[in-house]
Amino acid sequence: MNIYQPHLMRVEEIIDETPDTRTMRLRFKDPRVASSFSFKAGQFGEYSVFGTGECTFCIASSPTRKDYIECSYKKVGKATTGLRDLNVGDDMGFRGPYGNHFPLTLMEGKNVVFIAGGIGLAPVRCVIWNVLDLREKFKDVTIIYGARSVSDLCYKRELEDWATRRDVKLWQTVDPGGETPAWKGEIGFVPTIVEKAAPRAENTFAIVCGPPIMIKFTLPVLGKLGFTDDHIYTTLENRMKCGLGKCGRCNIGKVYVCKDGPVFNAAQIKTLPQEF
Amino acid sequence: MKKEMFISDSDLRALAQELLTAGTAVIAPVQKKLPLGERIEYARVQSPDQLVFNQAVSANSLKEFIMPPTVAILCWKQRKAEVELQEIPRDPTPQVVIGAHPCDAAALAVVDRVMDWDYHDELWFDRRNQTTILSLACTAGDGTCFCTAVGLAPDSSRGADILLLPTANGFRAEVMTDKGEKLVKAHIPRFKDLENQQPLPALEAAKKKIAANLRMDSKAIQGLLEKGFEHELWKTLGLACHGCGGCAQVCPTCHCFDIVDEPEGVDQGTRRRNWDTCQTAKFTLHGSGHNPRADQNCRIRQRLMHKFFIYPEKFQEVLCTGCGRCARVCPGGMDLPEVLKMLTAKAAL
Repeated sequence: MNIYQPHLMRVEEIIDETPDTRTMRLRFKDPRVASSFSFKAGQFGEYSVFGTGECTFCIASSPTRKDYIECSYKKVGKATTGLRDLNVGDDMGFRGPYGNHFPLTLMEGKNVVFIAGGIGLAPVRCVIWNVLDLREKFKDVTIIYGARSVSDLCYKRELEDWATRRDVKLWQTVDPGGETPAWKGEIGFVPTIVEKAAPRAENTFAIVCGPPIMIKFTLPVLGKLGFTDDHIYTTLENRMKCGLGKCGRCNIGKVYVCKDGPVFNAAQIKTLPQEF
Repeated sequence: MKKEMFISDSDLRALAQELLTAGTAVIAPVQKKLPLGERIEYARVQSPDQLVFNQAVSANSLKEFIMPPTVAILCWKQRKAEVELQEIPRDPTPQVVIGAHPCDAAALAVVDRVMDWDYHDELWFDRRNQTTILSLACTAGDGTCFCTAVGLAPDSSRGADILLLPTANGFRAEVMTDKGEKLVKAHIPRFKDLENQQPLPALEAAKKKIAANLRMDSKAIQGLLEKGFEHELWKTLGLACHGCGGCAQVCPTCHCFDIVDEPEGVDQGTRRRNWDTCQTAKFTLHGSGHNPRADQNCRIRQRLMHKFFIYPEKFQEVLCTGCGRCARVCPGGMDLPEVLKMLTAKAAL
């Protein structure tokens, strides 16, 4: 087997999150691979439909949930269109896990604030469930999540679950104009809601993921709240082919997103050239 | 076994014939006829008469013989919902390169670093391990060569299993590796005692000539590039660059690739690894339409950064062996030695 050879996976479940975003639950076909496979929150993989090619996403399920992995994606190009055309029971390819991960051990015994926008909830959701499945190891958990409109909110069933949990403080928001008459959450952009929620910075890690514009305006808010750059983590995306540090396209300056990342803290990001 | 021996031109050709007879692929510079004129190219030879030595720098590098422009990763067959994967057999034909330019042999050793960085790339090393390289000290350098500026030389042994130094009657053969020793042992009647064979004076002349082409300070350039992400030079170079990727095509160290699925009919196909280049817009284009390297300025910067900043940061050496091919093919007249000269001057400011 060469390093580019994927494992075969079977599509076990398909959940349409929004009109253009879909989550798929995948199971390894080879039971030996299934039992030996493990990963850490934040790692990614190369998912492929044979004939349309590979695409790169994080693993959106938690490493605490064994036997399967999930990915969430938006249909934007050829490869994601290929994925979109799959049905339950179909075979596809996966290779991974690649890259580094979120610092779960550092986060133990601390508060965690999750901030996500749109499909950016996918990598954050992986950490959220990892933390919630080991709930006693962490202190306060706050989730701030926003999307353009109510219909663009991902993981709606899980949002309902988090909303009712007493050990999670959930803030949901939609961009102004994206609300429905029945909408009970916040209205406003994510950075504004972070300011309003004003999570305590002391003893707290923040995990932020979303569109670049959201991240750009959220970081100063966190700074104002007292978060230091080494306590704010995010995950970067760049176009990748190999995921193994060879194909030469995901680098930002001397940093290879596939090997040095995809998880970086804000202090590391500030040292990178503006090429992402 | 002696590490330095002598082999005559006719014995070298006889060795090539023995290899061919044994079913080994022999790759060497040959004279290739073109619709207009002719040029020297590395090619798989059918007869030892085709071998030409030290006439000119070959137009292609050895890259394609280790990392072919397209190579199959796997084949798939779709049977309703099920997919069956077939691995590609991994048994490349053994091959011997006779008369590699030292810059091209060195390039393979340089690229070995990234191919064995954490993940061991079998697609590269399967062929690499099956390849024995006889470098020939080069007296064919032209006004664009600059191997001496990147720490190499026309008689560098880097990447060579055997280094051949031209003498009056043939070649002094210096055995560099176990692979080289194995080859000599298998063809021992072809090799003679060295006696008093001195390398040709032309070699010293070639060295001097190339050293005069370019003097640069790699460390200073590395430092300049680290700080010079927004340097105005990128705008100037971006204007000259057509984005054709010709430089990467002929470069012995450019190794970036794409992975694509090529369907063959409706229910089967091959996943392939193809050469790619950072000089095209699609290289970094995101599915969302966002492109972190949106213009040619960024792309030409990336090429120089990768070679003279990123690679030295990761692997402590530049991703360039000074072959000069990029400058020879550039339709925009971009001359890498000139650019490096410019960078060295700017770094000294």
